[in-house]
Amino acid sequence: MSTSSFTLRYFNAAGIAETTRLLLTAANVEWADEHPEWPAEKSNQPFGRLPVLIQKSAANETDLVISESVTIERYLARTYGFLPADPRKAALQEQIRDRLTDISIAFDVQRLASDDKKEESVDKLKDLLKRQIEASSKALRDNGNNGHFFGSELTYVDIATYAFFKRMIISVRDAQESISDLVKASLTPELRKLIAVVEANPRLAAQVDKAEKLVSVLSA
Amino acid sequence: MTADNTTPTYVLRYFDIIGLAETSRMLLTAAKAEWTEEHPEWPQEKPNQPFGHLPVLVEKSGAEDEEDFVLSESGSIERYLARKFNFVPTDNKQMARHEQLRDQHLDAIIAFFAQLSLVDEAKKEKREDFDAMLDKVIEIHTSLIRKNDDCGYLFGEELTFADMSAYAFYKLLVMYAVTFEADVAPFVKDKITPEVLHLLRTVESDPLLHEHVEKKGSFVAHILTE
Repeated sequence: MSTSSFTLRYFNAAGIAETTRLLLTAANVEWADEHPEWPAEKSNQPFGRLPVLIQKSAANETDLVISESVTIERYLARTYGFLPADPRKAALQEQIRDRLTDISIAFDVQRLASDDKKEESVDKLKDLLKRQIEASSKALRDNGNNGHFFGSELTYVDIATYAFFKRMIISVRDAQESISDLVKASLTPELRKLIAVVEANPRLAAQVDKAEKLVSVLSA
Repeated sequence: MTADNTTPTYVLRYFDIIGLAETSRMLLTAAKAEWTEEHPEWPQEKPNQPFGHLPVLVEKSGAEDEEDFVLSESGSIERYLARKFNFVPTDNKQMARHEQLRDQHLDAIIAFFAQLSLVDEAKKEKREDFDAMLDKVIEIHTSLIRKNDDCGYLFGEELTFADMSAYAFYKLLVMYAVTFEADVAPFVKDKITPEVLHLLRTVESDPLLHEHVEKKGSFVAHILTE
């Protein structure tokens, strides 16, 4: 397994690939980004979309090609120990992470909404965010407020949550500053602790150091 | 069966609709699990759910001192049941093949529902996204059926998670999404290939799903007679 190498095909942006990049980095495997010409390369992808993860063996044979950002995440998390083998414990992490997708969808809906639907869709986003922040903060408190959802080691849901808030605060800033500010203002002490702990983890340094730090933005 | 020989029982909480619970219903039935469905008063019961929404799966171990295991999120619920009842391979790579299909199905469904609330150019674009995703899903299903010797299952020779997810996908679009936009039913039906129809027939006639089809009716008959 340690002789495998990976290629992650995606656009040159954090987008929905950042959690995958962080997992690959934390797993300490050989990996590289590939930014296909788009839409020229669309028909060369299994499902016509990105991201796509390609795994190669030591002999450079293709072992696996998978699509769907969250499937990619779970595959890496399971293979490299960021999700527990116990199905119940894994499911508890997955359900928190799946909620983040719902919020991202609500974000897209409000961004594209027509004027008459705008307020309603922004309210929906705010409501989902509020619930997620409440539930996450409680889980973090129940775990001793050590910056981790479970135990005291970096896990999948820690990484996914960090990447989510980084996207909603930094990536979204240029397009919709009001949403970025709203998310920033909603962060609880528990979530700020998680962000600080995850961002400082040496296993993630190679990826985190490539761009602006979330902790810097939060203390600005 | 659990180690102390008590069999878990399940409660699936959802609305009385196809929605996002159909695959879970099929998994529980095919697993021959002891399960019931609950339709909570809504929105009164919202605060009593872990994340304030449905579906929710409750697994009761039957052992006196053990707490119920409560899980939210249709995807997490489906994957938990699929793994528990061996409807996915245990190998991570193979499991990923099933999961990516399920995630594709959901993406297409989300695209359909997202365009409902849009107008004009935005709606047209999002609807085109849905159309493209639907075409791709059908292409993939068709190709997998052919590659699998046309036995009617997507992978291997037995009913798996991927098969149930695919069946629920078409059923949701033709029988549930239609209540939001009538034209989606004939639109989807027209695109169904012989291979996909073979998949739907095979899933529906699998003995493990006999009880499910008895209760819910034949989706295949619905497609063929309308």
